[in-house]
Amino acid sequence: MLQTAFNGVVSGVIMTLPALAVTLLFGVLKFPNFAIGAMMTCAAYLVFALNAQLGWPLSVSTALIALAFGGVCILIDQVTFKPLRGRGAITLMVASLGLGFILENVARFGYGNTARSFAIELARPFRFLDIRMNREQMITLAISAAAMLAMWFLLTRTPVGRAMRAVADNPQLALVRGIEAERIIRWTWFITGMLLAVGGVLIGMDRALEPPMGSNYLVSVFGAAILGGLGSPLGAGIGALLIGVASELSTLVMPPNYRIGIPLAAIALVLVFRPQGLFGQPYIRK
Amino acid sequence: MISFLVLMSIVVCFSAILALALNFQWGLGGMVNFGLAGFYTLGAYACALLILKGGANTFFATLGAMAVVAIACALTALVTLRVTEEDYFAIVTLGVGEVLRLVSLNEDWLTKGALGLTGIPRPLSDVIPSDVYVYFLLGLSIALLLATLWVLNVLARSPFGRIVRALREDDVVAATLGKNVLWARVRIFAIGGAFIGLAGSLHAFYYQYIDPTQFSNIVIAYAFMAVIAGGRGAHAGAILGAAVVMVLLEGSRFLKDVIPWLDSDRLAAIRIIIIGVGLILLLVFRPQGFLREHRLQVDLATATMRRS
Repeated sequence: MLQTAFNGVVSGVIMTLPALAVTLLFGVLKFPNFAIGAMMTCAAYLVFALNAQLGWPLSVSTALIALAFGGVCILIDQVTFKPLRGRGAITLMVASLGLGFILENVARFGYGNTARSFAIELARPFRFLDIRMNREQMITLAISAAAMLAMWFLLTRTPVGRAMRAVADNPQLALVRGIEAERIIRWTWFITGMLLAVGGVLIGMDRALEPPMGSNYLVSVFGAAILGGLGSPLGAGIGALLIGVASELSTLVMPPNYRIGIPLAAIALVLVFRPQGLFGQPYIRK
Repeated sequence: MISFLVLMSIVVCFSAILALALNFQWGLGGMVNFGLAGFYTLGAYACALLILKGGANTFFATLGAMAVVAIACALTALVTLRVTEEDYFAIVTLGVGEVLRLVSLNEDWLTKGALGLTGIPRPLSDVIPSDVYVYFLLGLSIALLLATLWVLNVLARSPFGRIVRALREDDVVAATLGKNVLWARVRIFAIGGAFIGLAGSLHAFYYQYIDPTQFSNIVIAYAFMAVIAGGRGAHAGAILGAAVVMVLLEGSRFLKDVIPWLDSDRLAAIRIIIIGVGLILLLVFRPQGFLREHRLQVDLATATMRRS
């Protein structure tokens, strides 16, 4: 039971980075981006190329790819989403779906359907308070905690972060105050790209690298972001933890294949009873 | 070659029914359905299981499949009870579709899991001689496609059709005019669902064998592409879009003969990449599609001239 709860915490923590990405993107761009799963897949394969094929250490490869992938995301946004801005959420969602298909299959084209794993030496799991933990889980916890802190610092203590929140809150007002929305969108994509790259590596470390690895997390990640309240970074983190623990505990009473039912049920319940999520602002239709 | 064309025409027919269903839900009603592949799976499996396990004949199995998918869609639409934003609904449909796909893959006792269901009988296959059967199936598919088109056309031009379009444009205005938004949404999604069930049944009859890999997300990609290419809301456009997309898809199978170093995984990947790129290009450069929605129009210039 305790072990299951711990595993749940870890699998929830894995989702914090993509959930943060979803919530940031939704805040600034105002549509749920369905390509984030495939983006994580692509980034993970890029890291795989450096790490397993060129033999670089995983940490160095991840850091490099995270920076580069931030740039890639800006580029992708300029090509696909920029021409569609202002066309309404549905159009953008369908475009993001198409983008997801493209990216996932670019990865499939490059590496096929075979599952792969990073080149990391195996380490013995160790025990603490009767809970078995392995090194990958500890790395996941540490990196996610660091990323949450960094995001908190970025959003509350830096000009870019404040500008991002301003654009998310009220784009017109932000524009009046001299904040250029396009510049903030580029920043948002850069940060999102880094979050997704690291998130992709964490997923790849937890399971294996295969083309659907990112999109398999899509419903859970959206569940986490909606449960916490779309647009709320703190909510995304807590939502991810709750979904992770609940999904893992659910395997005690129902078949593990249907873990995805937990985030889905969470979304349905939140939408019916508390549409703004646990930490979100009530939505006021303007 | 002729038989290849006949077989492809049948595929185009049930793909077009699927595109029409999506067009009704999304193009007319503004309810985006990212769980399309899951509902389509549900339709095909419901039809096959009603025949194989329920002992129903093909006609009642098809009706049953339509009812099952309609009910599933209606229940899904209920989540719009309080949140009417299309983005939340899109995520819900994605999740429901994923669960349906997992059920088909994991409930071995019912669906035989990854092995799939085999030996699905075709309608009237015991009466019609087997050498002309494909022509009968083609005729049946065309008839069902036309019937679908007719029903949806009548619906789109009925008072209910006006509510459907009003909801797409602005649900608050529709609610202000005293329309029951939730109930209308449930009906829109259920009607679309019934036709997804019909398309799924035809899929099962055509292949006589269904397994979860036939219902991957490519179904969503091509159906959305068909609807966008045809012009959102335009029924004839959805059919045309489905035909073009399916011909391209089926035609790209021959790529393998042209470029021999492509293995089947890579070929499949390329086809989906092409669809994704096409989808985005369409959205960017021709979002209105190639045909337009039917609207009641009054030519103001001639109308005023006639009056004077």
